[in-house]
Amino acid sequence: MAYRYTLELLAGIAIVAFCALFLYTSATMSGAEFAGSDNVGSGLIAELSGTTVENFQPLIAQWEPPSGEIESCLFALQAAFGGILIGGVFGFWLGQARRRNVE
Amino acid sequence: MHIMEGFLPWQWCVIWWIVALPCLMLGIYQLKKLLDIDREALTLLGVTGGFIFILSSLKLPSVTGSCSHPTGTGLSTISFGPWITAVVCAIVLLFQSLFLAHGGLSVLGANIVSMGIVGPCVGYGVYRLLRDTSVNIYITVFLVTALADMFTYVTTSLELALAYPAETGGFVSSFILFMGIFAVTQIPLAIVEGIVLALVFKYIVALKPDILIRLKIFSEEKINAARSEC
Repeated sequence: MAYRYTLELLAGIAIVAFCALFLYTSATMSGAEFAGSDNVGSGLIAELSGTTVENFQPLIAQWEPPSGEIESCLFALQAAFGGILIGGVFGFWLGQARRRNVE
Repeated sequence: MHIMEGFLPWQWCVIWWIVALPCLMLGIYQLKKLLDIDREALTLLGVTGGFIFILSSLKLPSVTGSCSHPTGTGLSTISFGPWITAVVCAIVLLFQSLFLAHGGLSVLGANIVSMGIVGPCVGYGVYRLLRDTSVNIYITVFLVTALADMFTYVTTSLELALAYPAETGGFVSSFILFMGIFAVTQIPLAIVEGIVLALVFKYIVALKPDILIRLKIFSEEKINAARSEC
């Protein structure tokens, strides 16, 4: 019983440590922009092939979210969809478990 | 881990699509067969797939001063194996390339290979290795999740290094450069993701142990041991 919440505790510590690491990095590292690693990667591709990022054109025409707001809206929708799935199923399982206990 | 649209030469796009397509078809076939046998597997698929949706939308800051996102493929890999996981990943990646300009249709094959196939395959290998040993199931879940996440980014680095070998040092030096961007950023994220998904697995074990036993994900003894100890 003493170890009942070991995993919860570990997860809590990991998340706090992660936040602390972020605060430390953003405070001490100069030039840390926290851009997406995808974009940093694209920068390196441009460097290796000796051109600029702007020279890379999509092979298949692509719709781009017109602004960061719209992009974050769509990302939030994606996460919300996942959240609904998880919450719904866990609720369903909880109900099933309850009913088994009653019967 | 997204390779951006236009940033991969078309020859490589074709090659990675050729690798990805058979895996996707196998995944769709396995999924259909699984759901014909056991409709309740759909609930577990909902939870494990839901985590891929959520975690792959979270762009988190990391030690290198750039942001990256976890993949969340570990639970699905353990529950259904790499091929079904590849199908779920393909859906997420398709959404992101159509609406978010993250990745794109031509590079979708390459992105499916890294996030949906190689990462989960490595994770699945670890799971098969540890499943029948006495290793605690939460440690197994942690390792599978963290390694599936890490190897997704190692694969992205590999794909880019193959397409863009450096002028001096060739493939190897360019692989090291890409690893510096993708893999190093990913280390803390992979560790946190592993712990969080191990915690989620604990709740699945607590609420719905029968589905894990029926799908033969872990043996009944191991599930019962895990239920009593945590």
